[in-house]
Amino acid sequence: MLLKMILKCKNTPGELLEPCGHIKPESPVVQLGSNFTAVCVLKEKCMDYFHVNANYIFWKTNHVTVPKEQYTVINRTASSVTFTDISLLNIQLTCNIRTFGQIDQNVYGIRIISGLPPEKPKNLSCIVNEGKKMMCQWDPGRETYLETNFTLKSEWATEKFADCKTKRDIPTSCTVDYSPVYFVNIEVWVEAENALGKVTSDHINFDPVDKVKPNPPHNLSVSNSEELSSILKLTWINSSIQSFIRLKYNIQYRTRDASIWSQIPPEDTASSRTSFTVQDLKPFTEYVFRVRCMKEDGKGFWSDWSEEASGITYEDRPSKAPSFWYKIEPSHTHGYRSVQLIWKTLPPFEANGKILDYEVTLIRWKSRLQNYTVNDTKWTVNLTNDRYIATLTARNLVGKSDAAVLTIPAYNFQATRPVTDLKAFPKDNMLWVEWTAPNESVNKYILEWCVLSDKSPCIPDWQQEDGTVHRTFLRGNLAESKCYLITVTPVYTDGPGSPESIKAYLKQAPPSKGPTVRTKKVGKNEAVLEWDQLPVDVQNGFIRNYTIFYRTIIGNETAVNVDSSHTEYTLSSLTSDTLYMVRMAAYTDEGGKDGPEFTFTTPKFAQGEIEAIVVPVCLAFLLTTLLGVLFCFNKRDLIKKHIWPNVPDPSKSHIAQWSPHTPPRHNFNSKDQIYSDGNFTDVSVVEIEAANDKKPFPEDLKSLDLFKKEKISTEGHSSGIGGSSCMSSSRPSISSSDENESAQNTSGTVQYSTVVHSGYRHQVPSVQVFSRSESTQPLLDSEERPEDLQLVDNTDSSVGNLPRQQYFKQNCSQRETSPDISHFERSKQVSSVNEEDFVRLKQQISDISQSCGSGQMKMFQEISVADAFGLHTEGQVERFETVGTEAAVDEGMSKSYLPQTVRRGGYMPQ
Amino acid sequence: MRAQLMRRTLLSLVLGLLFLSTPAMGSCLDNYQELLGQLQKQADFMQHTSMLLDPYISIQGLDKDGLKEHCQERPGVFPSKDVLQRLSRQEFLQILNTTLGHVLHRLRTLQKDILKAQDLEKLNIAKLNIRGFKNNIHCMAQLLPGSLEKTEPTPTGPGASPSPTPISDAFQRRLEGCRFLHGYHRFMHSVGQVFREWGQSLSRSRRHSPRRGLRKGKHRTHLSSRNKRLMPRGWLPR
Repeated sequence: MLLKMILKCKNTPGELLEPCGHIKPESPVVQLGSNFTAVCVLKEKCMDYFHVNANYIFWKTNHVTVPKEQYTVINRTASSVTFTDISLLNIQLTCNIRTFGQIDQNVYGIRIISGLPPEKPKNLSCIVNEGKKMMCQWDPGRETYLETNFTLKSEWATEKFADCKTKRDIPTSCTVDYSPVYFVNIEVWVEAENALGKVTSDHINFDPVDKVKPNPPHNLSVSNSEELSSILKLTWINSSIQSFIRLKYNIQYRTRDASIWSQIPPEDTASSRTSFTVQDLKPFTEYVFRVRCMKEDGKGFWSDWSEEASGITYEDRPSKAPSFWYKIEPSHTHGYRSVQLIWKTLPPFEANGKILDYEVTLIRWKSRLQNYTVNDTKWTVNLTNDRYIATLTARNLVGKSDAAVLTIPAYNFQATRPVTDLKAFPKDNMLWVEWTAPNESVNKYILEWCVLSDKSPCIPDWQQEDGTVHRTFLRGNLAESKCYLITVTPVYTDGPGSPESIKAYLKQAPPSKGPTVRTKKVGKNEAVLEWDQLPVDVQNGFIRNYTIFYRTIIGNETAVNVDSSHTEYTLSSLTSDTLYMVRMAAYTDEGGKDGPEFTFTTPKFAQGEIEAIVVPVCLAFLLTTLLGVLFCFNKRDLIKKHIWPNVPDPSKSHIAQWSPHTPPRHNFNSKDQIYSDGNFTDVSVVEIEAANDKKPFPEDLKSLDLFKKEKISTEGHSSGIGGSSCMSSSRPSISSSDENESAQNTSGTVQYSTVVHSGYRHQVPSVQVFSRSESTQPLLDSEERPEDLQLVDNTDSSVGNLPRQQYFKQNCSQRETSPDISHFERSKQVSSVNEEDFVRLKQQISDISQSCGSGQMKMFQEISVADAFGLHTEGQVERFETVGTEAAVDEGMSKSYLPQTVRRGGYMPQ
Repeated sequence: MRAQLMRRTLLSLVLGLLFLSTPAMGSCLDNYQELLGQLQKQADFMQHTSMLLDPYISIQGLDKDGLKEHCQERPGVFPSKDVLQRLSRQEFLQILNTTLGHVLHRLRTLQKDILKAQDLEKLNIAKLNIRGFKNNIHCMAQLLPGSLEKTEPTPTGPGASPSPTPISDAFQRRLEGCRFLHGYHRFMHSVGQVFREWGQSLSRSRRHSPRRGLRKGKHRTHLSSRNKRLMPRGWLPR
């Protein structure tokens, strides 16, 4: 588009606008990279009108002012601008003037088109498709950026043909509009032309018949020959080009199920023809054919392939005997075997026709021939245990195959001579089996195989190989990741040899399931893991090894490889009392698969460790206990004396005969001295105690103090009533009992206290006094019969009305064995107590019993008995004697304390 | 002798005017044998009645019993085989060129009676083939030696009779066209035989065979003496 910016030169109404100047050249097309100069020429009228000249001209390209250095003022009216090395394809150039010193006016504008001249077209070639017009094509060369026309020119020596103009969208080829004239050379070339030039390709001169691409042969048909099963005859109709030229052919063929074509040797089809007989074909095989043609001398182009046509060669007798084998099945009939004869259908290339049936013959040893015709590929027959020879032939329309012979050995036949070095391996997506032949001549080999599975039985497939074959591949439909058990059996003339088996995979894969690991035994620092072998259905290959991964929660994972033959493994160096996570992976040649994770915790102690600690401790404890018991047993008397000191039985006590000459008791504990005379069996201690706040007589107090001192000095030997802790309290008390002496009491006497209520020398004692005696007499029944206590109370009350509450409180926790005295006897003894005292005492007992219970009452009974009984045993007498001895220790206390001599069978009140 | 020289001069002049006056355009095939082969093959396929006669008979409705017998060549329209064989190569080429020119002219006349485009296409192809044949004749004439040296007079008139006088009867006109085309195919058959003889004579006498790679106007092939003897000695018999 040429842009013209016009300037109004005249503003006279009715006149056309005229430009104020113009640019030369008007419509330039410039070659890229070249220089270009444009000249702007102003008109005189405008110059006069605007008072300008060429010096006022300035240039713009694409609205950008061109530097003045590129300007050249030619004369008063003309100015030029020069551009070097044009690189833009499209430039808008305007010529402008500046009027009145400030107004820019556009005078004229042009558009500069840039591009390249056309290159010489190359590789011009033509083709004449039969029945169509000639078409030529070429390489146009580089891009010109300009509109370039390509013209195909052609001529004979005597005339020219019309030019063939290319279409805009297909500038590289052109089809002429005249029919080709064969056998007349024509000269052809291409002209390429644009604004920057015109160029012509090389001329080619050729006979159009040498550029012909014939139409393919048609109506191709195939026919066979009954005489020859190995030939097929092809016939076809050539295209009409054959009336002008001679043709040669390509004939290709293949079997129906093949994908690769075979070709008849070209030299056999190098001349024009309409038929051809293909030889050396397989019988009863369908072949597919196709044909193409071209000019006989090889000039021109091959036609397209014809439509395919197929034909089947005629049948021939089966070329090979069928594969033949047998299976023996148990028979219910004795002496017979159920033999299943099996055979394979012949492949088409061996059957050479349609197999009509099979003929089976059985020959028993030294018996006649038996013929059977079978349509199936198996036949079951009951045979005796003898040796048989079976033959098999396949029959088709033309004839029979050779016979396959099989020896069925006798029942007791022992197979030997197996193949050796049996191997099975995958290769080229097939499972190959290889073996070393036995030394003897082998008729054939039988290969049987089946898929090993835990879910389905082994259903064998089989194939037969010639006796010369030592390596073959299994021709069954094998699956990947399946374990095949392959058996190779050599077949000799006298029967089959020993079978040899091997397992193999067509293609291994990682196991589909990992092994499940579990602990068999977990120790403090080790764990025995066990697992089951993976089922064959999930193995997907040969398990080469296991890997055990174990870790703690925070620790790194440790992996241990274990041979595939193992089913247990011991993890050692484990940390005690730690949770471990363990999983296991099984690996085939193609990879591994993890099993589920299992956790276990190691114990804190090893097995037997606790026992090792506990048992000795227990034993030591038991031993200690036993020793303690033995010690206690041995020292039971001593212990008994400490815990249960002997209390003399008051009923068996007697008043010791005081003797002024009895030496003072310096060694109170000296038992030898005490028992030396044999007059004393025990010692009774008479304790005199103040019963109230009344001040005792001085002499009494004196003697008491002395006695106390003695008592304190011999603490541990002293004992109050019941020998309880109450007696060892801070309460002032006097105890005359001697533990050592008590221990000498072999009669197991019970200690009693004798309470003396009467005062000394007819004086009413101001304190409660009691004495203790040792006696074998059992405690009174009144301990368990509170009702009897009333009688005792009455008895006590007859002694005096002294306050006794303190005494009972002191003995509240004491418990002693009940005396063995009948209630009846005691009730009689207390009958003489006056009524007044009885009532008062009863009141006291009532008060005490509320706080102390039966123990207190028991104590009260003891006291009562001591007061009431007049009859005593011999032991009791002895105890009293001891008491008398003790009393005699302190001679100075004769006024306050008189030793009582208790004679046998009597008691003398003081 | 002088008259003979005069005749040769005239023949050369005619051939010169005929061939050399042709404006220089595409180059001719400079291989004599190849060019001869092209001529043979052209004559071979042009003799087939399927190229012209059969379509014409079908188009004109002459393919009925009793009519085909009337479609016979009118004698004298095309030169006979014997006549053609007696012509010299230059004369033969001249007669052939002239005759084919007449055929083209006649085909243009017949074209008026053909209405169907498909039939017209066949006719145009036939015409184009004849033009191509004439082109090869021209090229062969370039290759023949001594074209300008021939002294024997050559018939200037065409072998084929001039355009026939107009026939008012349409049937007769169709029949005449049929007879013409019949004669044309027969003529081309004879031409093919003559060219075949050219090739046979060439193989018999290699020493006279034209050299390969001759450029136009620079190298000329030498005809055998036999061919020279076969040159026509007079007008074609009618």
